[in-house]
Order: sequence, then structure tokens, then C-alpha cells
Amino acid sequence: MVIDFSYCVSTNEGLPCRNIVGCFQGRMDIITLLRERFTEDELKRAFKGLPKSRIERIIESVNSDS
Amino acid sequence: MKDRKIVLPEKEIPRQWYNVQADLPNPLPPPLNPATGQPITPDMLAPVFPMNLIEQEVSSERWIDIPEQVLEKYLIWRPTPLHRAYSLEKFLGTPARIYFKNEGVSPPGSHKPNTAIAQAYYNKVFGIKRLATETGAGQWGSALAFACNQFGLECKVYMVRVSYNQKPYRRIMMETWGAKCVPSPSPDTNAGRKFLAQNPEHPGSLGISISEAIEDAVTSKDTRYSLGSVLNHVLLHQTVIGLETHKQLAMIGEYPDIVIGCAGGGSNFSGFALPFVRDKIHGKELKIIAAEPTSCPTMTKGPYVYDFGDTAETTPLIPMHSLGHGFVPPPIHAGGLRYHGMAPILSRLVVDGFVEARAYAQLETFAAGITFARTEGYIPAPETNHAIACVLEEAKKAKEEGKEQVIIMNWSGHGIIDLAAYDAYLSGKLEDFVLPDEEIQKLIKDLEKFPKPGK
Repeated sequence: MVIDFSYCVSTNEGLPCRNIVGCFQGRMDIITLLRERFTEDELKRAFKGLPKSRIERIIESVNSDS
Repeated sequence: MKDRKIVLPEKEIPRQWYNVQADLPNPLPPPLNPATGQPITPDMLAPVFPMNLIEQEVSSERWIDIPEQVLEKYLIWRPTPLHRAYSLEKFLGTPARIYFKNEGVSPPGSHKPNTAIAQAYYNKVFGIKRLATETGAGQWGSALAFACNQFGLECKVYMVRVSYNQKPYRRIMMETWGAKCVPSPSPDTNAGRKFLAQNPEHPGSLGISISEAIEDAVTSKDTRYSLGSVLNHVLLHQTVIGLETHKQLAMIGEYPDIVIGCAGGGSNFSGFALPFVRDKIHGKELKIIAAEPTSCPTMTKGPYVYDFGDTAETTPLIPMHSLGHGFVPPPIHAGGLRYHGMAPILSRLVVDGFVEARAYAQLETFAAGITFARTEGYIPAPETNHAIACVLEEAKKAKEEGKEQVIIMNWSGHGIIDLAAYDAYLSGKLEDFVLPDEEIQKLIKDLEKFPKPGK
């Protein structure tokens, strides 16, 4: 399927997708654009640390729904 | 007249799945509960999966019997044919012998029902009446809808809204098989309502859809969750692909030098390759290559991590493979939505050197898919094109070296319902140049109508 930039920059609860740098760094200065649109805290939230594994995501959801 | 397909008789369909966990030189550590940091126990997964599947998830038995009821359903389309790609070989002028395993012949059009059927069966015998799941582009949702219909289960699919709007045919497939498919975020769950309150037109994400599906499973009667990739039991079910291929090659006295598949969550690649990984673990010399996109790498690069005051950097999980190509990704993606999380089994095999990971840029993969369609006739799914790009690379190498390499690949699915991606490629929307300033300013201006994250 085809998705556009606006999706990539906001899909993560209003924060950018983790893949956005890899996807766009060859086409534009994506880092500067991200810094213009988001605060440092927001970028840290979007990119800091390792993403959760699928099992971790499942357990976390179960814990919050139970 | 040469035979183009190696067809395994139905009575020869594999009767057991292969569990690579029995042979891993470095066993996987158990996953940890993020809340406690302690290993997850089976009872923690009981709200989402039936115990029979949890047992498979943690099993170290090498061979697990495929139930007769699952085999009966597999026979609707299995064993799948193994094709000799004579036309592609001729076009490339390569001495390599290329074979592709056609998983596109299943009713949903991909390898996904190999595990969907198994999961529907195990849930049914456990007494479950309904399955909930998420889907991005709709491949998994349609496979599960098909499987649930086969076993008389209800099926609820939470489909990422941007995909729901763009791909009506996958939704229609699901509904034709009796499933209920809703755009996510939906008003049907607390998770969905939270995001809709922020933005009634929220485009959704796989993360939100996963949350909705799990909430549905945990809070609804006689309902469990099902997923199409990453987990051990999913890879286990998919090994029927590689086990059939083993038999088909034996019928013609062939054995591969190179095994290739595309890798997103890892299920089709693992299903195809794990029986050959077993041979490699026991000393057989062969190359096993997992092809992934440069835009969403999970094996060739770690996920991007942002450090305060610094450029975003990749985590050094494993060395990066450089292909030396100048292709760059476009401002629109035709490769589908991806959730972070390669199958741990596959990650382990890459780190331990049994599987080589390579990344391919989007334009190269579409060019490969077009080459395949114009030689072998079949139009591949965009994901499958990553494997084809790798096949072309290895076939070219074989030509340069004058070697009669035997290359096999998993043709994981057809692209007949993903033609919007080919349309974007053929109409030149997926271009290969740096965006000019005015285009970038237009993108930034378009963002103004989208809400910024809350504090």
C-alpha cells in the first residue's frame, strides 16, 4: 500500500514513526525537519531506547487491560 | 518439453512441523515481563493465547505433529508448487538454476494461512469461539478471516485506518469470509476511543491496532488473540513451506547453494529457510539470506535511537551491510506498514551467523518485481520483491563467476491486490532524487493540519 509523509511523521501517537530517519534521510534533511516540528522531549520519547518486542507489547497490553 | 513445476503429491505433504529451537546452538533466552524484568511464564499469556499454542511457543521438541484436521485444510492449496524459473534464468543469462516456491496459490494469496489455519484449529479445540487480530495492509487479516471461516470461528479484525481506506479489496475479502473488519482506531475499545477522542480522523497505526485487538481478546468472552508473525509457534507452523521444498528438491536430485526469502516479521522466511538452517547447523555448506527493506531495517541496522543534542543514530546491534547502491527512498512508501520486531529466532540466527541479512531499497525491489513479472509472468507482492532483488544479485554473481549455483527463493505472495504500489512505481511517483526545497516546504505545510502530540 502507499502511505504519505504526514502518516510517517505522526503515526506514533502524534510522534514520528521510528523508521522515519531511515526512510527519508536520503531525500531531505529529516533531522532538521523533526527538530523544527518536535521538542527535544518529544523526540526522545519517539526514539529513545529500544522498541518493545512483540511479546513485551502483548504482556504490557494484557497488564493494562486486566 | 521441460517440466517447469515440481509438484509434491498430496499424500507426501509433511506430517510434522520442524521446531528449530531443538537445534539452536545458542538457545533463546525467555522473553521478559517489561513490568517486572522477570521471565514470562505461560500463565501470563493465557488471557491472549490458548494453552495448546502456548505449549508450542515454549516447546523444545524437534518435531511436532500436524493435526489431521489442519492437514485436511492445508490440502485446499498445499503442497504448493516449486517452479523452475527458466525464463528468468534466460533473461539474466545466468548459469544459476533458480527455483521459486509459490505460496501465492493459497486462497488469501500468501503464506499467511499456513499459521492462520493452525491457530484457528488449536483455538477451536480449546473451546474458543472468536479470534481478534490486527492487520496493516490486510494480508494477515484476510488469512485469519479465511481460517476462522474454515473452522466456524468468529473473527474480528482491527485494520489500520489509513490502510482500511486505501485497500477496500482486502477488507472485502475478510467480509466475504465472514469476518468483521473495522478501521482502527475504532469506537469498539477503550484504546480506540482514546485516540478517536484526540482525532476523529486518526489514521491509525499498527501499535494502536494491536492494543485494540488484545483489549478485545482479554475483555471478551471466549475470545483470544491471534497474530501472523514473529512468535515461535507462528514460525513453527510455517516450516511446512521449507519441509515441502526439501522433498520437492529431492524428487529432482537438487540441493540449494543459496536459500533466499524476504523478511518483515520473519514468518515466511523462517518457514522456508529453517529446515535448511537445520542442515547448516549440522555442517552443510550453504548460504541463507534474509532480504529486508532499507527503509525499515531490523536486521541490517538496529532501530534508530535519539540522543539529546546528537543526530539520530542506529544502535549497533549487528554490522550494517552496505550494498553500495545510490537508490534512496521516496516520500511515499509502497512497501507496507511495519511493526518493529523481527522474530527472536531469526534475530538469533543472524547474530550467530547462520543467516545473512541484506537490505534493499524500494526502487530496486520494484524493478526486480517487474523483471520477474515480465519473465515468469506472476506479479509478486511488494514484500516478495525484496527476495527477488536478492535472487537477481546472486544470479548476476553466478554469471560473473561462471558458477552453476542452485538458488531457491520463497515467493511469499502475489501482488494482485497491491497494484496501487506498482501504479506508484510505474507512474514515476517513486522517484530517485533528493527533494527540492519547495517540495519539502509543501510537506511541512501539509503537516500543519495534523495534531501535535499532547504533553
